Amino acid sequence: MASKPSLWPLTTLLHRRTVSTLSTATTYTPPPRIHFATRPNPTLPRRRIKVYPPPPGPLTTDPISALTTAQIKALDPSGSRAELFSRQNPQAIRPGDIVYVRRKNGEPFSGVLLNIRRRGIDTSILLRDHLTKLGVEMWLKVYSPIIDSINLVQRKEKMARRAKLYYMRKPAHDFGPVRGIVSDWVRKSYAAKKGSADKASQS
Amino acid sequence: MPPRISLAHYLRHLWRNPCPFQPTQPPDLANRCRSFTTTVPNAFGNRPKRISSSGSPELLEGSKAAALERKRLATRPGVLAIKKGMTAIYRPNGRRISCTVLQLERVQVTAVKTRQKHGYWAVQVGSGWRNSQNVTRPMLGHFEAGGVAPKEHLREFRVKDENGLMEPGTTFSADFFIEGQYVDVRANCKGHGFAGGMKRHGFAGQPASHGNSLSHRIMGSAGQSQGGGSRVLPGKRMPGRMGGHRVTRPHVQVMKIDKELGTILLFGPVPGPKGCTVAIQDTILGPPPAIPEATAAPGESAVAAA
Repeated sequence: MASKPSLWPLTTLLHRRTVSTLSTATTYTPPPRIHFATRPNPTLPRRRIKVYPPPPGPLTTDPISALTTAQIKALDPSGSRAELFSRQNPQAIRPGDIVYVRRKNGEPFSGVLLNIRRRGIDTSILLRDHLTKLGVEMWLKVYSPIIDSINLVQRKEKMARRAKLYYMRKPAHDFGPVRGIVSDWVRKSYAAKKGSADKASQS
Repeated sequence: MPPRISLAHYLRHLWRNPCPFQPTQPPDLANRCRSFTTTVPNAFGNRPKRISSSGSPELLEGSKAAALERKRLATRPGVLAIKKGMTAIYRPNGRRISCTVLQLERVQVTAVKTRQKHGYWAVQVGSGWRNSQNVTRPMLGHFEAGGVAPKEHLREFRVKDENGLMEPGTTFSADFFIEGQYVDVRANCKGHGFAGGMKRHGFAGQPASHGNSLSHRIMGSAGQSQGGGSRVLPGKRMPGRMGGHRVTRPHVQVMKIDKELGTILLFGPVPGPKGCTVAIQDTILGPPPAIPEATAAPGESAVAAA
């Protein structure tokens, strides 16, 4: 069975004929392409942009440490206050000791040292005492100019096995009032001072 | 026959001028400055101005120029600094003052905005440093024009008039401010993400026990029923994104300045986390600070350049 002859080749002849019937005067030319951002001469190399060097940066990226050191030096020039609470000093005041703090204005405060909070210039200590059977705690800034002196009254016999002695708030471990110990110490220290002053005046 | 429209002239014009979107401008450049000026003729096009002060010998209060005169703007530009943390200052009387430490890092003037060209006076300040490999070519050209290295942060500080302009390339140091003066501080506050009602708006929540089922921190009611409009009123406070937006703390005192470290100590807290960029400028809620003559910045050269 012979297949029906296809008309496809003939139709292509038709197409070609239609193209050739157009006159060459009106041949299709695409519109010129519009370049929106073009350089005057794309073949030339691009302009070299000058990159300036940066100015010098700050001396240190941690100014707070430098500021803290400067502030402590100004408030504690001899370094005695810092040494009182230094970790390296074996004679430093430790949690559990009884501390007597004299201020420039107001009553002195004494108590058991529960906490040394080390924060640079904001280093502070927490003292706990009993005033008229009422437990009283007080935070004192170590480097504050309002603090006249911090004195160690009595050391803890054994080293406290903790850095923060909050267990002493419980009745079982509460030290109680430190008034008696502190007044003894104050009397002795005055006597010692008076004795040394007398000796100095004598000699 | 329909009229023959020739596109050849237009196409030739396009071929010569690559950007067809460049509108043909009149030679008078002053008209491009569209805001604030009633001194420029035809500033508002051909529309009649509401308050015309062109005919009056004095500046009328209702005019835009008078409003610009009244506007509270700083006379000097500001500075970009990094929030480093907080510390404290002790006064001799024992008073302790909390301060925020802000540090200047390679802060320079990168560009200047003028009224003639941009319609307002401003100084663009940049801080930090960015590797030129990571900076786009347009921005590299911008920094080259200012004569500065590529900056990490850029910000404009609007000033009152041309006396506040500074030469591009001028470096800022911490002693740009005076101890005791007042400044306005602007920064993006800490972001808290999607925050609930209790955190975001201080809602009280519901009881923790007594039969409460799964509803301890929820919003509760969102409003009334039919009587309240049968809808949730617009603006009803609800959980959502909290923080991460710009916050201004006005009239903050400068407590201490350290030129070597490049630090400024400001009274109290400052918005934003540690390491964020903070914009500091003379406060507009008070008189401008009395700057010593030696540190006054010249304005004429900057105007001539721009």
